[in-house]
Amino acid sequence: MTQSFSVSRRRFLGATLAGAGAAALLPSAKLYAQTSIRMQLSWLHSVQFAGSYIAQDDGFWSDQGLDVALDAGGPNAPVEPPVVAGTALVGISAADYTAAAVENGAPFKILAVAMQKNPFVITSLPENPVNEPGDLEGKRIGMALANAPVLEALATLNDFDASAVEVVPTQYSAAPLLAGEVDCLLSWETDLPVAMAVQGVESQTMLMADFGYAVHSQTYIATEAAIAERRNEIVALLRGEAQGWDLYRADTAAAARRTVDRFPDQGLDLAVQELQAERQVPLMFSELTDAHGFGWFTDETVASNIETLALLGRKITPELWDRSILEEVHGA
Amino acid sequence: MAPDRAPPPDIVCRALDKRFGDVEVLAPFDVTFEAGKTTALVGPSGCGKSTLLRLIAGLDTADSGELSIGGQTADAVRGAGGLAIAFQDASLLPWRTARGNVALAQRLARQPVDRVAIDALLNRVGLTGFLDTRPGALSGGMRQRAAIARCLITRPRLLLLDEPFGAVDELTRRQLGLELPPLWRSEGTTTVMVTHSVTEAIFLSDRILVLSPRPARVLEDVEVRLGHPRASEMMEQAEFIDAFKTVTAALERGEAQRQNALAAQ
Amino acid sequence: MIRASSATVHFPGTRMVMGAVCVLAAWQGLAAATTGALLVAGPLEVINHIAENAGLYARAVGVTLSSAAWGFLLGNLAAVVLAALAILRPRAQGVISGLALLTFCLPLVATGPILRVVFGPGEGPQITLAALAVYYTTYISVLVGLRAVPATWLDLVTSYGRGRGTALWRVQAYAALPYLVSGLQIAAPAAILGALVGEFTGAERGLGVLTLQAMRDLDVTATWAIASLAAVLSIMLHAGIGWIANRVLNEEPPLILAPPVARGKPNYSRSGAATGALTALIALSLWWGIAEISQLSSFFFKRPDDVWVFLVSSDTAAQNRAELTASGLETARALLPGYFAGLGAGAGLAILLTLVPGLSSVAMPIAIALRAAPIVTTAPLLVLVVGRGAVGSAVLVAVMVFFPVLIACLHGLSRAPGQVLDVMDSYAAGRWRTLIYARLPAMLPAFFGAARMTVPAAVLAVTVVEWLATGRGLGALMALSASLSNYGMLWSVTLVVAVSAVAGYAAVARLERAVLSVFASEQVQ
Repeated sequence: MTQSFSVSRRRFLGATLAGAGAAALLPSAKLYAQTSIRMQLSWLHSVQFAGSYIAQDDGFWSDQGLDVALDAGGPNAPVEPPVVAGTALVGISAADYTAAAVENGAPFKILAVAMQKNPFVITSLPENPVNEPGDLEGKRIGMALANAPVLEALATLNDFDASAVEVVPTQYSAAPLLAGEVDCLLSWETDLPVAMAVQGVESQTMLMADFGYAVHSQTYIATEAAIAERRNEIVALLRGEAQGWDLYRADTAAAARRTVDRFPDQGLDLAVQELQAERQVPLMFSELTDAHGFGWFTDETVASNIETLALLGRKITPELWDRSILEEVHGA
Repeated sequence: MAPDRAPPPDIVCRALDKRFGDVEVLAPFDVTFEAGKTTALVGPSGCGKSTLLRLIAGLDTADSGELSIGGQTADAVRGAGGLAIAFQDASLLPWRTARGNVALAQRLARQPVDRVAIDALLNRVGLTGFLDTRPGALSGGMRQRAAIARCLITRPRLLLLDEPFGAVDELTRRQLGLELPPLWRSEGTTTVMVTHSVTEAIFLSDRILVLSPRPARVLEDVEVRLGHPRASEMMEQAEFIDAFKTVTAALERGEAQRQNALAAQ
Repeated sequence: MIRASSATVHFPGTRMVMGAVCVLAAWQGLAAATTGALLVAGPLEVINHIAENAGLYARAVGVTLSSAAWGFLLGNLAAVVLAALAILRPRAQGVISGLALLTFCLPLVATGPILRVVFGPGEGPQITLAALAVYYTTYISVLVGLRAVPATWLDLVTSYGRGRGTALWRVQAYAALPYLVSGLQIAAPAAILGALVGEFTGAERGLGVLTLQAMRDLDVTATWAIASLAAVLSIMLHAGIGWIANRVLNEEPPLILAPPVARGKPNYSRSGAATGALTALIALSLWWGIAEISQLSSFFFKRPDDVWVFLVSSDTAAQNRAELTASGLETARALLPGYFAGLGAGAGLAILLTLVPGLSSVAMPIAIALRAAPIVTTAPLLVLVVGRGAVGSAVLVAVMVFFPVLIACLHGLSRAPGQVLDVMDSYAAGRWRTLIYARLPAMLPAFFGAARMTVPAAVLAVTVVEWLATGRGLGALMALSASLSNYGMLWSVTLVVAVSAVAGYAAVARLERAVLSVFASEQVQ
């Protein structure tokens, strides 16, 4: 991945052709003529998956003979069952969820990591900020009770006393913070703070990934059987993803606009999508991806993931990760 | 029996008028019911008999005219517990026993509940052995007996009966007609009853008012010259047969007038 | 008949409008008072917002209505067929009713993901959940209607040598029509709720999708707009079905209160325990059979023996049971107070409205709006307003229970048997004593009927609000189990929730039968 794209439509087209040319050079690409596959997203359609939309719209998949359907997720649509059932070839999950699924008998591998840094943040208001983990002591934090292990893991990683933090059970809402019922909220960098900013409420975020909380997020998963039997399709799928996300990175505003135009019935707010698209970039792209390509991970990042996941009660081995597909994608 | 009970009232209706929407049920209606007597109202279905009874009971109000019960309004009499009414369906509370239903009347009439009197009365109306039975397990005739007991326990000065035996079979009906009236007659009560049965009207009352089809007018005012207590054999007496003929003729006259009126339209 | 004992509850039209206006004004005031808190959007903002995004909302309403309509159609068809079967085969009635109730009590939180896998992408789960949300109430309504035929009519058919099928078709079907309409009226808003929850399983468009997006964007105006739209839609459907029925039928739809007690002759009906055991056996066989025939992966589609292992025989069984019990107790702490508060509030308001009829013009619009807005759209709002934790869950449960109880009690209060109210009047008994001696006891059968029918609704409410809003109890445990692929726990919770709901229903039904035998003995002959 050496090209750095700029905005114009013509350049998009050029990129498409370049991609097609590249695909044509690979002998395996000719073996499948428009194979239909599905990818299960982890949430409703939004700019969170904009790279995939670009790959689809710009033909990065069809050029390789893939017809990819993107299945929306939702609060009552877990990713793992359709992937296990074979409805979807690949699913978008996260290392902690995948680890749990594997513990419960699912034969998953993590093939690529879209979010290099976990998007969990502690969101606070500027007049009463949480800038580093130690600031949490003596504060009231609003979060789903189910996330208690996350707070405890952060405490262990940063040597503060988790019991000195008062947990107030809340769900997805800024109201308790604004009403002063809590001092901070556990949220994603890309949702609550973004929505608050668009609503005109300034907030302070502390990214937990910057303080040792290493859990790969927005990971691409597939079953061992699928990897063995449909390897070429998965490679082609991820290659298209990589191309799509690189274009996304080049112009997040355009990606946001394309997302909003593509899904007129989702009720997407352009301002929210633009800001979210912008804030995703530092989570998804790093020196590592610059050097090796989209979705990359190393033994070191896997090791720190295993360490953090152990704090969350998940016992896993490096075998959960399989980089061979990604290596094929990026020609390493 | 309490000695302080006021004598039975007369009922005076002057120019009573009652309509339901376009339907004129009573158009200036005048009648006087004598104190202490039993008066039966007979007439074709829908002629306004029940309406008149409900006006007397204060369950409905007349559009105009005057109604006085011993010089008082219906409301005043009701409020003093001086009135009781029985319907074709016994209208007992299904969740109370026979005894409980009778006791409720005393409570509602703001009288002390007198269990001894209640049991005695229920035994007198023939419910021995069923005092603690709920209405659902009583026969139709037994329910009416309980309903009459409920009426009588408060010792009303005015008793209103709206086809009280209309829902029971002929045999039971005659039996009730023989057994129950002496109970209220001995108390000195003004009684107004509505009935469809000419025989029953003659058998139970001192006087019969035959009403015309709507709007109701008095077609015939028949005095029943039979002694008390009534007995089955009286139905063969000439007085009974005369009354029967007079009432029947009046009813036929009323029907003929209605037919003429319809034809004239 | 002068004082008609009205079978339906009437509310004066113009007063109703006045009341609705007062409510809207109060709502606007509340919005103005809480500006900046990201809590309440007033009716003016809401209307403005809908007008500005008319196309978006029209399309979303179209999508959701279409799923709801298919589910409504299929669910009600299934209900009618089931009811006919139950009538034709009285011996099977107890088992059919039991299975129908058990299926109805399966929590949406758990069935959604399974349906998504079974159907794949598309409208399958939306339609199925809508159908599941409607069929039980219609089944009960039609069953009651089919049985509400005088025995002499059936004897008439028999006297011509014709069988049950003829009686069903020639006599009972017509007699049951008004009951069917009643069932359909209840079903319409339920179908919308089912379709909305279905959209949470990964739909591409619809009001449910917009709800999620609005919540995620902290777009309070949109959140209130969607809740209002859904409420208006529900009210319109309810009224529309009533209007059509009025033109087709001569009778007003009855209020369905009669108990679903098997009325068959003693030699027909098995003992309660035998029916229960047989129902459980068939349910387990169906569960196992579906799993085996569909070949669904046991990773997420657990079999009965998987649940047994999870809860009883595995090494971690004790720990699993402890976790389940802890969440169950937490749910019970919200469910029971909410349920009883809803019963109390419904009966209390009904009594108050009977004593002070003028209040109904203000109280009824609030009650109707609260009930009509689908719980998935109101749950987050209510929790925002009344607070998180057990209180929030309890309030939502109370809201779900409150309205059916209110309507049933108003109905019961207005219909003391025979001319009992006249008898009361003849003693000048007055409002209070008439209430205590006649109306309240006459209300009890209606009250218990509603109490029984709202048990599944209360369980639905508490699990949904725990899932979407408060993050506690069994609802949250189900959501968490699904996200952590702990399907053993998910199926165990599902089983516990469904069986508890059925048990609660049966307990109230037993109490109801005892009450009916005293207060309305004619209904349980």
